[in-house]
Amino acid sequence: MAPSPEPTTAGGRAATAAEPVLRASGLHKTYHGGMLSRGGAVRAVAGVDLELYAGETLGIVGESGCGKSTLARMLVGLERPDQGEVTFRGRPFFTRGGVPRDIRRRVQMVFQDPLTSLNPRMTVHDIVAEPLRVHRLSPNARAMRDRVGELLTLVGLPPDRMNRFPHEFSGGQRQRVGIARALATEPDVIVCDEPVSALDMSVQAQVVNLFAELQSTLGVALVFIAHDLAVVRHVSHRVGVMYLGKLAEMGPAAEVYGAPAHPYTMALMSAAPVPKPQLRGRSRIMLAGDPPSPVAPPPGCRFHTRCWKATERCAEVEPALEAVGDHFAACHYAERAS
Amino acid sequence: MSEAPVLEIRDLHVTFTAHGREIPAVRGVDLTIERGQTLALLGESGSGKSVTAKAVMGLLDQPNVHVRSSVARLAGRDLLTMSAEERRELRGSGMTLVFQDALSALNPVLSIGDQVGELFRVHRGLSRKEARARSIEMLDLVGIPAAARRIDDYPHQFSGGMRQRILVAMAVALEPDLIIADEPTTALDVTVQAQILELIDRLRRELGTAVLLITHDLGVAAEVSDRVAVMYAGRIVESGEVQELYDLPAHPYTAALLAAIPDLERPSSTLRAIPGSPPSPASVPPGCSFAPRCDRATGMCSEARPALRLLDTGTGRRAACHYSEEMLNGALA
Ligand SMILES: Nc1ncnc2c1ncn2[C@@H]1O[C@H](COP(=O)(O)OP(=O)(O)O)[C@@H](O)[C@H]1O
Ligand SMILES: Nc1ncnc2c1ncn2[C@@H]1O[C@H](COP(=O)(O)OP(=O)(O)O)[C@@H](O)[C@H]1O
Ligand SMILES: [Mg+2]
Ligand SMILES: [Mg+2]
Repeated sequence: MAPSPEPTTAGGRAATAAEPVLRASGLHKTYHGGMLSRGGAVRAVAGVDLELYAGETLGIVGESGCGKSTLARMLVGLERPDQGEVTFRGRPFFTRGGVPRDIRRRVQMVFQDPLTSLNPRMTVHDIVAEPLRVHRLSPNARAMRDRVGELLTLVGLPPDRMNRFPHEFSGGQRQRVGIARALATEPDVIVCDEPVSALDMSVQAQVVNLFAELQSTLGVALVFIAHDLAVVRHVSHRVGVMYLGKLAEMGPAAEVYGAPAHPYTMALMSAAPVPKPQLRGRSRIMLAGDPPSPVAPPPGCRFHTRCWKATERCAEVEPALEAVGDHFAACHYAERAS
Repeated sequence: MSEAPVLEIRDLHVTFTAHGREIPAVRGVDLTIERGQTLALLGESGSGKSVTAKAVMGLLDQPNVHVRSSVARLAGRDLLTMSAEERRELRGSGMTLVFQDALSALNPVLSIGDQVGELFRVHRGLSRKEARARSIEMLDLVGIPAAARRIDDYPHQFSGGMRQRILVAMAVALEPDLIIADEPTTALDVTVQAQILELIDRLRRELGTAVLLITHDLGVAAEVSDRVAVMYAGRIVESGEVQELYDLPAHPYTAALLAAIPDLERPSSTLRAIPGSPPSPASVPPGCSFAPRCDRATGMCSEARPALRLLDTGTGRRAACHYSEEMLNGALA
């Protein structure tokens, strides 16, 4: 099954004034006293804006600790931002009574590790049926069983195994169970946090193809978070690149990968190992050191401590995410495609 | 090739016994690495890569594990007839292991200087002062900034990438004949991974060390290896020179893996998924282990297990498939 990777909803889509299904504005999240913070406050997400349009896949890439999972949890309302808001079709998530039930129903999540995100003592039937029960979507047990069978078929699992437990399935099959559970409430949006990272190489493609297929048949919009650049390129129409809690760059996948504007994006693309021995010895951008700690992000541009283009201005003035041609980049010296 | 290979292993078997059941995790692996060469051992999780590495290092000398092989030689020395004492001496000086997880491989309560220095004191009989000076040189060599000042710091005071560099420094300190790097960059971010892979490659060139690089990443293997051995369900199913193996795989598993990963340059092409999942070592199917997932499999494949045999390419290519010739010819036709 071929996904539909060519952008139907490129960066230009915003200009057509279509209303996004999901919009995040000015999201901030700081953790205090976490295990790794050594007393300081971890600025996990430090000002993220994004929009997700119906039927599109927005990929998010970035190195570990840059805030991808924290962002994901806020995008589905599992975590409340310190500042900022998420809206679903224009309606705010974070009301005084919590995230409204119908919004929770329409915005679902798939987690990285299917083994820890599925309750080992529940049968697959009960796992997939849980959201049906919570949102009262099946009138009786029989209808619920039928619906669970339908959902399992949709994700390519034999429905006659619904009375088994998660450990009786392989890693790829367990991830399918997680996807079936997310699909149960007929969501408009699924936020997938590293959905294939824990899977064997030979199994990843099955699940990647399943996402593409579900999107083309159901029209669900996806936020697809992963650290594998090639996988994200493959499934996404648009891609956002995160660095230390912020978006460094965002735009149509073909542009972000083909003509990166932010030096960090360039370095990331350049560092990724390529399964083509003939490309060995190509010139690569080698960054020095590791990403800095989110407890004390560098002042000015967060990337300036590792950036070969940085000037004094970068250490002082934080660049905003601004339009550079078809995409957006937060860099004073963003590369402008000629 | 006149010079004897640095590592030569023939017919390595490792069987675990757990809960009264035998788990044949490695079932007949051959490995040959020449001086100054990098061999990538490529395979999915559970295929037996780490167990192979530990067996070569002699780290599986424990109850419930049965290790045997017909040949095991390091730089001409016979590992099979060696005493446990000699074997221990060889670890650290003749061959070394770089683990994936640097934090658990380093001792948290000893300074970096003490840990690197110990190698020189124990194996080379250097004084404390000499060992310290050599340690600073080693940390310099692997790119720890201000090594002389940081030598008294503890592991937790370094970032993940820096800790991995320290492990690499310890692995090359005594100029071993062989470094085994078991997923040395899997826990690292991609920008740091590139630095560590380059470091290992530079040291291999400068010191002429042989490297066994264990990875599950087709990209990593393509970036740094001279030869690749592809492992599936405890066996090597294909091996050969890296470029040739990627261009013209002679085993359907290798071909399927290469087709299953997305290509950055051809993003709209379909991913060819491999059906099913890898077998558990306790229940490997009879015949060819890959047959149940293979699009070329015939009746013969589930009955007769194809041996890993030398193909007629003149390049030392080996594959364990009844249809390797057809694969190579088909690709050329
Ligand atoms: N519940 C928490 N408490 C404290 N710190 C946290 C918590 N969750 C995440 N963090 C910290 O926030 C930062 C971003 O984490 P995360 O969103 O998980 O990043 P990613 O998914 O990109 O790896 C990290 O430094 C992490 O240690
Ligand atoms: N200590 C052990 N006891 C029992 N079985 C083991 C042990 N270590 C490894 N195995 C088995 O050996 C197989 C191969 O493991 P390993 O070499 O670690 O795989 P990998 O290729 O991921 O490094 C595993 O599937 C596991 O079942
Ligand atoms: Mg995460
Ligand atoms: Mg391993």
